Amino acid sequence: MRTILILIKKEFLQVFRNPLLLSILVVAPMVEFMIFPFCADYEIKVLNIAFIDNDRSQISKDIIHSFNSSNIFVSKGLLTSKKEADEKMKHDKIDLLVEFPSHFEEALYKNESTQIAVTANAINSVKAGIGTGYVQEIIGGYMQDFAASHTPTGMSTAMMQQEMMKEMSKARASDDRRPSIVMPTTSVVPQTPVRINISNIYWYNEQMNYKNLIVPGILVILVTLIGCYVTALNLVREKEIGTIEQVNVTPIRRWQFLLGKMIPFWLLGMAEFGAGLIIMKFVFGISVQGSLPLLLGITAIYLFVMLGLGFFISSVSENQLQSMFIVLFLFIVFVLLSGVFTPTEGMPEWAHKINYVNPMSFYIEVIKKVILKGSEFESVMRETIVLSVMAVIINTGAVLSYREASK
Amino acid sequence: MYSIEANQLTKQFGDFTAVDHICFEVREGEIFGFLGANGAGKTTAIKMMSGLLLPTSGTAMIAGYDIRTQSKLIKRNIGYMSQKFSLYGDLTVFENMQLFGTIYKIPRKELKERIMDSLRELDMEKQANTLVDSIPLGWKQKLAFATAILHRPKIVFLDEPTSGVDPIVRREFWKLIYLAASKGVTILVTTHYMDEAEYCNRISIMAEGQIKLIGTPGELKQQMGVDTINDVFVKFVKR
Repeated sequence: MRTILILIKKEFLQVFRNPLLLSILVVAPMVEFMIFPFCADYEIKVLNIAFIDNDRSQISKDIIHSFNSSNIFVSKGLLTSKKEADEKMKHDKIDLLVEFPSHFEEALYKNESTQIAVTANAINSVKAGIGTGYVQEIIGGYMQDFAASHTPTGMSTAMMQQEMMKEMSKARASDDRRPSIVMPTTSVVPQTPVRINISNIYWYNEQMNYKNLIVPGILVILVTLIGCYVTALNLVREKEIGTIEQVNVTPIRRWQFLLGKMIPFWLLGMAEFGAGLIIMKFVFGISVQGSLPLLLGITAIYLFVMLGLGFFISSVSENQLQSMFIVLFLFIVFVLLSGVFTPTEGMPEWAHKINYVNPMSFYIEVIKKVILKGSEFESVMRETIVLSVMAVIINTGAVLSYREASK
Repeated sequence: MYSIEANQLTKQFGDFTAVDHICFEVREGEIFGFLGANGAGKTTAIKMMSGLLLPTSGTAMIAGYDIRTQSKLIKRNIGYMSQKFSLYGDLTVFENMQLFGTIYKIPRKELKERIMDSLRELDMEKQANTLVDSIPLGWKQKLAFATAILHRPKIVFLDEPTSGVDPIVRREFWKLIYLAASKGVTILVTTHYMDEAEYCNRISIMAEGQIKLIGTPGELKQQMGVDTINDVFVKFVKR
């Protein structure tokens, strides 16, 4: 016990005497935490839209007008030719183009099928998807109003919507730079003008605030970095400067030595997580919905997984450069697959399989559930068990891979 | 009784044999010198005897324990000073000694006394709270030695303790070695300063991983018919 205490003291003394390490450990993560959430933004705030109106009818004008009342779309006016539109899209002047065919109004009144073409710049596929979604919503809304006030025959609104969806998904699947989305519209109406309004309630994130997802995600990344990165460099640094030899000739036990190194960084990691939660509450207004002790408990386990991983990497590497590359590689895999930034649901099967051994993906689940949903222990039990097993395995591995005597 | 008994101790790195079936004994309280050019296998031999490196074949008994099977027991009884300075530069003199003393389980109160005594011997009392990084190399080496014998080991391995140190500090360093030996500590020291070899009770000259000559400095000089160990070495190399 005295041995471990003196090792902890040594580690703390070293951390606090190393201004660079201290700033890497404390200042950098905190600053990043305050800045990143404002940058990692999925929200589309502005969409530049232009129109080609080959019909020049009252209805087409009305539809174009209805875009003006939306605060997302910025109308770049009427264009005369497809070529002009192409040029504008190439130079990023417009994100979306809506094209009305000639005889559009006529077709509607005659109850014939007609189409509006929506073209989106899909370099940023998220933006294109959201953009066409909004366009669909606005035109759909207009058509509903139109249908309600005109004679009912033909296709039902529901059918029309379905058809539209099909077209949309076709367009999205194509890899073309600017998929054309062709929206069939008909002058259509249900027999009885029943209006169905769908109102959405987004549970656990009522304002659909992207920060609710990003902020806890970044907190996870920071905790991981402190746990894994700093420790991966620590042990191998002692190898490089040779101090480890002096320790290795003493009768100290391997687990004592590793524990003496782990506990200080574990404490620092926990302190930082706590600071992160405070920032989260007062800067981003996100407070922990679930139980704080539960959250801290699982974080403690997760930190042990990451510390163990760091030491494992450190003990199999020859120098700091090597261990840095290994950590960097693992870190990118962990982050991209974990679902911090992109939902795991859309990932292929093999990615899901990798996630079975990705501690970060379990931990982000816990974070989302406990912080945003206020989940109880039962609903994060699986993750807790998995993380505990991982902690035991990786730390055993770290102790075993650490060699006092080389071959 | 022997403190160190090497028996056919061998270390191979791939095809290269760094230490080739060496056999020698060191008596208790003896100062035994390991001489040889760079790459002769001195450091490899020391690392095996202090439990930092596993031998390929052969073995050695250190303080009566086998290096292959009883390394934990050996470690309690030896001190080691690496060729490369390996105390913590970002800890103070006192903190370093306290750290290693505690690892060797010296009781708290006694440890403090021992550290103070040893700093007095080194004439470094004023530097107790100085960071090790900021003291001169000669002092660092003396400090490393004092730390290596703080837990009163039976045997101390010193790997080129005086390389790069000025002649005055070297002489002081040897005084410390004699002081320790007078207390019954067995000392195995490597060096390539031939004048230092004269200070040893017995020396061995290594080349190509083998012990080529072994004996007291007087015996070796007589054997080769020369006046200094330096000449012994030169003559040996020419042969």
